[in-house]
Amino acid sequence: MEAWIVFARGPLFRLCFSIMVLGLARVLWLTGIGIIEAYGRSDDRALAYREIFRQTLGWALPVGRAGRARPLYSLTSVLFHLGLLLVPLLLQAHVRLWQSVIGIAWPVLPAAAADGLTLLMLVTAVGLFAGRLADRRSRAISRLQDYVWPLLLAVPFVSGFACANLTLAPLTYQAGMLLHLLSADAVMFLLPFTKITHCVLQPLSQLVTAVAWKFVPEAGDRVAATLGFADRPSWAERSRLGGPHS
Amino acid sequence: MSRARRLKFVLWAIVGLAAAVGTTRMLVGLGATSHLSDATPWGLWIGFDVMAGVALAAGGFIITASVYIFKLERFHDVVRPAVLTAFLGYLAVVVGLLFDLGLPWNIWHMIVFWNTRSPLFEVGWCVMLYLTVLALEFFPVPAEQFSALAKIRRVLLKWRLPLVIAGIGLSTLHQSSLGSLFLAMPYHVHPLWYSPWLPVLFLVSAIALGLQMVIVESHFTAYVYRRKPETGVLEGLTTPARWILLAYLALRFGDLAARGNLRLLTGGEWQVKMFWFEVAVMAGLPIVLLSIGRVRRSRAGQFAAAGLGVFGVVLNRVDVGGLVHTGRGEALYVPAWTEFAVSAGVVAAAVLAFLFAVERFAVWHDRPADPDADPLKLPEFDKVGTTWLGVPAVADRTVYSLVFVVAAAVGFALLPASAAAGRGVEPGPAHRARGGEILWIDGNLDGNGVAFPHDAHEQREGGKESCPRCHHMNLPRDRASGCFECHRDMWQPTDAFGHERHASPTGGRLSCATCHPSAEPRSASTAKTCVTCHKDLIPAGAFIKVNNGYRASGYVRAMHALCIDCHTHVMAARKKPNLGRCTNCHRERRSFVDAPDLAVRERIGASVVLPQGVAR
Repeated sequence: MEAWIVFARGPLFRLCFSIMVLGLARVLWLTGIGIIEAYGRSDDRALAYREIFRQTLGWALPVGRAGRARPLYSLTSVLFHLGLLLVPLLLQAHVRLWQSVIGIAWPVLPAAAADGLTLLMLVTAVGLFAGRLADRRSRAISRLQDYVWPLLLAVPFVSGFACANLTLAPLTYQAGMLLHLLSADAVMFLLPFTKITHCVLQPLSQLVTAVAWKFVPEAGDRVAATLGFADRPSWAERSRLGGPHS
Repeated sequence: MSRARRLKFVLWAIVGLAAAVGTTRMLVGLGATSHLSDATPWGLWIGFDVMAGVALAAGGFIITASVYIFKLERFHDVVRPAVLTAFLGYLAVVVGLLFDLGLPWNIWHMIVFWNTRSPLFEVGWCVMLYLTVLALEFFPVPAEQFSALAKIRRVLLKWRLPLVIAGIGLSTLHQSSLGSLFLAMPYHVHPLWYSPWLPVLFLVSAIALGLQMVIVESHFTAYVYRRKPETGVLEGLTTPARWILLAYLALRFGDLAARGNLRLLTGGEWQVKMFWFEVAVMAGLPIVLLSIGRVRRSRAGQFAAAGLGVFGVVLNRVDVGGLVHTGRGEALYVPAWTEFAVSAGVVAAAVLAFLFAVERFAVWHDRPADPDADPLKLPEFDKVGTTWLGVPAVADRTVYSLVFVVAAAVGFALLPASAAAGRGVEPGPAHRARGGEILWIDGNLDGNGVAFPHDAHEQREGGKESCPRCHHMNLPRDRASGCFECHRDMWQPTDAFGHERHASPTGGRLSCATCHPSAEPRSASTAKTCVTCHKDLIPAGAFIKVNNGYRASGYVRAMHALCIDCHTHVMAARKKPNLGRCTNCHRERRSFVDAPDLAVRERIGASVVLPQGVAR
C-alpha cells in the first residue's frame, strides 16, 4: 500500500495536477480566443461592460438578483464553495507538502477551522444535492455529471477528514490516505473537461453570453441556405410580412 | 483527418512533452533533467540542436546564392521555402542553445562582453547576425499580406542583394567556425574525426547538406499537402550535391592519409564502425544513388538519397559534438530521454512554424487549400467526442491544445522524482569508509578520498572515551555507528528516521498517537523526539548537538562540517596553519579496484583490512 501511496502522490499526482492546471488554462484560452473572434466578426461593437460586470458579480454572490431568486440556494452554494476552496488550499498538511517541494509556504488554517469548514462543505453539499433532486426544474436541466460530481468531490473531503481525525475513522491511516490521494487525483484529472471549468470561466460567463448574441451580418440567411431553405423568406422578411414565427 | 492534420497532431504532442521537460529544466537545472555532467558538458543538445541545426539550415544561403548571385532562375520556386527553413532552423538553434546553456539568461553577454579570441564568440555573433539577415530576407513574404508593411517590404527588396551577400559571408564564416571550436580540443576528439581541416570539412559538408535538405523539405511538404512535387527543379540540385559529396570524401580521406591515420580505419572498436557507417550514410550511399539516372529523376529516389545524406551529416555533427569524444573515463554518455524530448520538441516546433507559414503566407506559388474558405461546408463531427467542434480552425485548436496539454502532463508525470522535487542533484548513495587503523573515506567510490588516521585521532583525543566526539549519534543498540548509516547520500539530506519503518505493520507497528500525541498537526516539529524512546541514541558527552534528528545532511557536508570545524579549532590553538588546508586531508587519488590494500599500506605505512565482498 505504501508503494501505491508513493505512486499516487508522485507521478500520478503530477499527471493529474498538470492536467488540471494546463487544462484550465486551455479552456480559458479557448474561451478567450472565441470571444475575441466572435467580437471581431460582428459589425456591432457596442458592449455594456458595466452591466456585464455587475451581472457577473451578481451571479457569484448571494445578494442582488441571485439572492432574490433563490436565497437559500445561493447562501448554501456560497458556504459550500467556501469550504471547497479554503480547505484544500490552506490546510496545514497541504501547505507543508508544497513547502517541501517548491519551497514556498503561505498562511494556514487552524486544524479546528479546517475540520469545521470540511463539515460545513459536506453538509452544504448534501443540501445542494438534495435540492437538485427535489426541484423539478433542476432535475430537468441536470446531466449525469451533475449527480456524479458532488459524490466524487465528497470522497477526498471525507477521507481527508478521516485521516485528520483517525479516532473517528473506520479505516487505517494508510487506506484513508490512499483513498484521499486517488480521489483527489481523479477530481483534478476530470476537472478541466467538465462543468467545473466554471472555476476559471465564471468571470467570463456574462461576457460570453453578451458576445454570443453578436452574429455575422446575414447569419440567419446563411444558416437557411446551408440547411437547404434558401428559397424561403428570411427571418427579417417574415417579421415584416407579419407571418407566423414558428 | 488530412495528412497535415495528422502530422500536426503528432507534432503538438511532441512539443507538449518537450514543454514539460523544458520548463522543468529551466526551473530545476541541467543536473536533474539530463545526463550531462562536468565530464560530459556537451551532449545531444549541442551536437544535434546546435551543430546539426546550423548545418541543416545551410540550404538558405546556397539557394539564395544560386538564384540571386548566379542567376540560376530555375531554382526560383524553392527560394522562399529554403529561406524559411534556414530562418526556422537558426531560430531552433537559438532555442535549443537556451536549454543547453547553464545560465541561459546570460546569453546576451556576448553582445556586451567581447572575448574576441574565442571561437564561440564568433559562432555566437554569426548566429545572431545571420538570424537577423534571414529574418529580413524572409520578412517580405508575410509582409505581402499586410498593406501597412508595404513600405518596409519595398525597402527590404531593394536591399536584397546586400542581404544575400551578407548571408553568404556570415554562413560560410560560421559553418566553418563550428568546426574551429574543436580545434581547441585536439586530444578530446577521436583521431578519426579530429583534423586541423575540421572547419573546411564542416563547410563542405554543410553545403552538400544544404542542397539535400532543400530536396528533403520539398518532397516532405509535397507529401503532407498532396502537392505536385518539384522533382524536375530538384534534379538540378542533385548534380552539385554529388560533386560536393565526392569532394568531401576526397578531403576527409586525404586528410587521414596525409596525417598517417589511415591505419586507424581497420580496428575493431565501435568508433571505427561508427566512422564507416557515418561516411557510408553521409556521402557513399548518396553518391552511388544519385549517380543512377533513374534514381536521380524519381521522387522516391531523390528523397531516399537526400534523406540518407541529411541523416549522415546530422550523425557526423553529433559524433564530433560529443559522442566520439575520448578521455571521459569509463562512463559512456547516453543522452537521457529528457534530452531526446527537448531536441525532438524543438524540431517539432520548427516544423509547426513552417506549416503555419506555408498555410498563411505565399511561400509557394499556390498555397494549400484553406479548409475555412467554403462557408457552406457541412460540419464534421469529431471522431473521438462525436461532437461538432466548430469550424475547422476552431476544431484544430481544440484538438491540438488538448494533445499539447495531455502530452505535457504525461511529461511532468514521467520526469524523475529528483527533478519533480525541485532538487537538481541526482541521488548518490554514500558507501562505508573502509579500512581499520587507517580509514579510506571515499563515500561515492570515485577514487578521490581521504586516508583518515582513525586510531591516531582516537588516541590523540583520549582513547575510547572520545568516541562520542565524532560518533554523535548511534543506531539503536549500537556503538560508534558509521557515518554512512545516517548520511546516506553524498549531496542531499536523507531521512535518518524512517517513518515507514516505525509505522508499517511489518515494522514498528506504532500508532500515530505514539509519536504525535498532541492535537497539533502531525509533523516532524510536533512529534516526540527520537530519544524519548531510544534512550541510547545519543551517547553521553556527544560533541555535536543534533537540532533535528529526522534529517541527516549529505555525506560530504557532514564530513566537511565535522572535520573542518575541529581542524580549524586545532589549527588556531596549536598554531598549525597547514591543518586547515584542503590538501592536508585530500592528498591522493586511489582506486580500490587497482590494489586497494597495497596502495594504502605503502603510502601510509599502515595495514588496511578490506571488508568482505570488495572487488579488487
